[in-house]
Amino acid sequence: MTLLLQAVADGLQMGLLYALVAVGLAIIWGLMEMINFAHGEFMMLGMFGAWGLSVSLGWDPLVSMVPIAVLMYGGGVLVYRLLMQRVQRGEVFTQIFATVGLLFFVQNGVVALFTSDYRFVEKSFLTGLSGANITLGGLRIGVPLLVGGLIALALFLILYLLIDRTDFGLALQATAEDRDAAMLVGIRPQRMYAVAWGLGTALVAIAGVILANFFSVYPQAGLSFTVLAYAIVALGGFGSILGTLLAALVVGVVQSVTAAYLPPAFKDAFVFASYILIGLFRPQGLFGRF
Amino acid sequence: MAASSPPGRAGRARSLIWAAAVLVALLYPIPFERSGYIYYETVGFLVLLNAMLGIGWNIIGGWAGQFDFGPSIFLAIGAYTAALLSIHLGVNAWLALLGAVVVSVGLCVALTYPVTRLRGHYFAIATVAMWMIAQPIGATWPFINGSQGLFIPVAPGGSFVHGMLTMEFPGRGKGLGFYYLSLLLFVITLLGARAVERSKLGFYFRAVRDDQDGAEAIGIDSRLYKVIARCLMAAIFAAGGTLYGFWALAVFPDQVLEVNWNILPMMAAVVGGLGRLWGPALGAIILIPISQVMTATLGAGPLAGRGIDLIIYGAVIMLIAGWRPNGLLSLPWAEWAARFRGRAPAQPVKG
Amino acid sequence: MRILRVITAVAVLSFLAVQLGPGARAAGPVTEVLIGELLPLTGNFASLGQQYLWAGQTVEDIVNNDYPDLQVPLGPGKGFPGLGGAKMTLVVRDDQSRGDQARTLAEQLITVNKVHWLNGEGTSGNTSIIQPLVDSYGIPMSCHACASPTLTDKGFKWFYRTGPNDRTMVASVFQFLKEWPGRGGPSDLKTIAIFTCDNLFCQDNRKIAADLAEKSGYKIVADLTTRTGATTLASEVQRLQSANPDVLFFVQYPAETTVFQADAKRAGYMSKVIATSNGAYSDQTWLTAQKAANGAVGWLGRDPTAIDLASKKPAWKKVNEIYKKYSRGQDMGELAMREITGMLWMADTINRAKSVEPAALAKAANETNMTPDQMIIDYKGIKFDQNRQNELATGVVTQIGWDDEKHTIWPWDLAAQAGFKPIFPSPSWQERESRTKK
Repeated sequence: MTLLLQAVADGLQMGLLYALVAVGLAIIWGLMEMINFAHGEFMMLGMFGAWGLSVSLGWDPLVSMVPIAVLMYGGGVLVYRLLMQRVQRGEVFTQIFATVGLLFFVQNGVVALFTSDYRFVEKSFLTGLSGANITLGGLRIGVPLLVGGLIALALFLILYLLIDRTDFGLALQATAEDRDAAMLVGIRPQRMYAVAWGLGTALVAIAGVILANFFSVYPQAGLSFTVLAYAIVALGGFGSILGTLLAALVVGVVQSVTAAYLPPAFKDAFVFASYILIGLFRPQGLFGRF
Repeated sequence: MAASSPPGRAGRARSLIWAAAVLVALLYPIPFERSGYIYYETVGFLVLLNAMLGIGWNIIGGWAGQFDFGPSIFLAIGAYTAALLSIHLGVNAWLALLGAVVVSVGLCVALTYPVTRLRGHYFAIATVAMWMIAQPIGATWPFINGSQGLFIPVAPGGSFVHGMLTMEFPGRGKGLGFYYLSLLLFVITLLGARAVERSKLGFYFRAVRDDQDGAEAIGIDSRLYKVIARCLMAAIFAAGGTLYGFWALAVFPDQVLEVNWNILPMMAAVVGGLGRLWGPALGAIILIPISQVMTATLGAGPLAGRGIDLIIYGAVIMLIAGWRPNGLLSLPWAEWAARFRGRAPAQPVKG
Repeated sequence: MRILRVITAVAVLSFLAVQLGPGARAAGPVTEVLIGELLPLTGNFASLGQQYLWAGQTVEDIVNNDYPDLQVPLGPGKGFPGLGGAKMTLVVRDDQSRGDQARTLAEQLITVNKVHWLNGEGTSGNTSIIQPLVDSYGIPMSCHACASPTLTDKGFKWFYRTGPNDRTMVASVFQFLKEWPGRGGPSDLKTIAIFTCDNLFCQDNRKIAADLAEKSGYKIVADLTTRTGATTLASEVQRLQSANPDVLFFVQYPAETTVFQADAKRAGYMSKVIATSNGAYSDQTWLTAQKAANGAVGWLGRDPTAIDLASKKPAWKKVNEIYKKYSRGQDMGELAMREITGMLWMADTINRAKSVEPAALAKAANETNMTPDQMIIDYKGIKFDQNRQNELATGVVTQIGWDDEKHTIWPWDLAAQAGFKPIFPSPSWQERESRTKK
């Protein structure tokens, strides 16, 4: 029984980290319905930023999180203005094409600059806590992951309030739902999309900064997290920030429990199988506005 | 869509271009065979294979308008079925191809019908889900030898004709043989797709794409047609998978389920012009040689290992996407051709 | 209309022109020996590929420049003496870790660049995809660091491997474990768990280990396979912890190994013996990163050479200096050593053949009988069996000590030279932390 409970606890912790990665995508794709294949690459840039600043200036990732987020916000806006704005004039599928190009460009740009070696953030607040555990009713909860998870929750709360409770958030939603109607009430759609891209990119870069404390930093690091992120946003339902959070927790738990009892090679497969299963009953995801 | 062939000089010009294209396609490998630069024949093979896959993807993506990001599972199913039939039962490659198509379509129907409940991006993730589920199956299933792969044995000896009949080219005829095999399959696929495009089936596909609710209102079963579209694609990918298997002579799960098989056919279709019959061919002719040239020049020598070729490749893709988001076939070719011939264009053509 | 006819005519004529164009390269004295280097320089295996590239560049440097005191084949003197001083040129291609690219680029290297020898691909899976192709064109090829036994078991006529394969290497680990009790080691190791990734390399190791474990009388209490790219291994660690094996046979790449270590640390899990086979254990960047927190102390695994002893050889030191020029300061790891040794053998073979014709190269290769004093690695020599696998490629077993360096612990004669007592049991996470150098 403790195996199961511990697996659930581990799954919830990882779920919060996944939520952190997915939240940026929830804005760009979940809310504004723009396909972004390069999402993982921005996360990877965040990881490299954290590592670079840690190695050259000795900044703790929790500190460098802020300037990196600001920089990546600008990067996201730039990507929108220079590329995605033009791509929007065409087929939706062209967004896939364009962001695949962006993926090649960014990932190999990092390879050219840093090579494919594995890098590690060695000294930071969170790595210093790495053995520390909290024991809650016989279950082990790792402190660093817990801190990462709390940051994720905080970001989610902020984002939820932003999207669902402010005029700005309403404007974003309006633009996504009906661009022309939004223009009629004075919203400038281009500006909304640009901000959405900026926000989404900044958020996933923050995720990268946090994850750099726990995982190796290398140019191909984006892939494993982002595939899960896509499943999470879709499972949670498009347009729902809280849905993304819930879906992330579900994914984390399914993954963890599967690995505890079934062949571990299938743990991601089960996550995706769950997605299909849930989708058959709720085609719009858990809280999708559809 | 283009209007029916204009009469007179334009019509003759068209036929001439057609004849030239056919001639090029048929004679393309000959000079390389003579000079020994077999590699270029293989590039031709890759272009034709991906063009064929692109046409397949175009059916579900361009015509039926559904996002399918995991078509490689059908390539894998095709490759494995053909390999197993060939290895364990000694079946001839073409029969194995048939078997591969049958199995692939059968599995496609079973897998796709349930998820046609999902729409848009949700459906897309469902196709990704299938791809993600296929990967550990491929890597661990003992029946297909898991990650240690299957090796297709090639009988020694055999003439060119024998090779075309069995897809086995033990000696140096490989490059030539597979070029013509892929050309044959490409032409068959193209003709088949053209037939579908002009048929009622094509009409239903486009109805589902343009307005699914409206189509259902007039009695078109959107779920059925989505399944048909996807399974036509599955058939084509299975054929492509068989061809790939006999070309590589080895089927590994991480190779046949590789992400590029998901992306490249789609990119070829989008670059060329989504939904257009010749879109994928144009896209493949552009994308593949560019990436090959760049690998050979920028990815080699002192710059090797820095991924410079892929950086430029990515930049080129972004440029094309930003400059021509509707694909390159959407360029006003007819207008340009008319201007080239020195006359004013017959009518204003939208870009 | 007329201009269209003109264009068509020009196109057709140029085709005919190319058709009648230059044929194969004219024969003549060879001034340049072209070695195709087909490697995964981007994509999943990029961190391996770049080490192979540096190894290749090192050998190119050694062959083409005069290193009078360097006791390796073609160290002294410039170029190939047997070919009148012809120089060696690497023709590098990146296949992005993809099989279809590997096959296509191999064909390019052979038919367009007309390389005389193909070195690659670096990973066993993609190498097996290009083997049939190279065999049909009939030029020699080699992948010295590819460890899958099937590469030579299949009997391809043109594939040579100087490095050991997984069968030899895993067998050496089990041999060590078997002989250890007689040399002061523990005699109560009864259970084993196997923990591997899901690709060809890991699965080869897993099957060999499972087979040998049974033959050696171990009870396999867990056999877990995980996918590469895992983001967490917490549940797997839990399962291993409850299975509680005496020996953990562990084969994973660096990224997953790091995840495992973090999760194991959280869970406080460590088995008495951790035995590995390549993967992270061979990766220089992972090894270097372990120094900060003693993460790898006590891990043992097979290595093709006794690194601690080899690094004392002057030849090794010199080659390392040259290697560091290309690797941006990173020391030669064991992958690079295998590759360099193999490519120097290749250069020697070309030199002995005094020709770049495939038949002559094959003859010289098959006649190889290289002695250990010419190598920077600890093979017993280079001599090929009927499948062109070097039958004298032995493995040693090393263990990482508290100085975070690898030390030879088997075979016993070399271990005695190395003077290192194996660590047992593998230290707990608390012990590792407490002994961290601040």
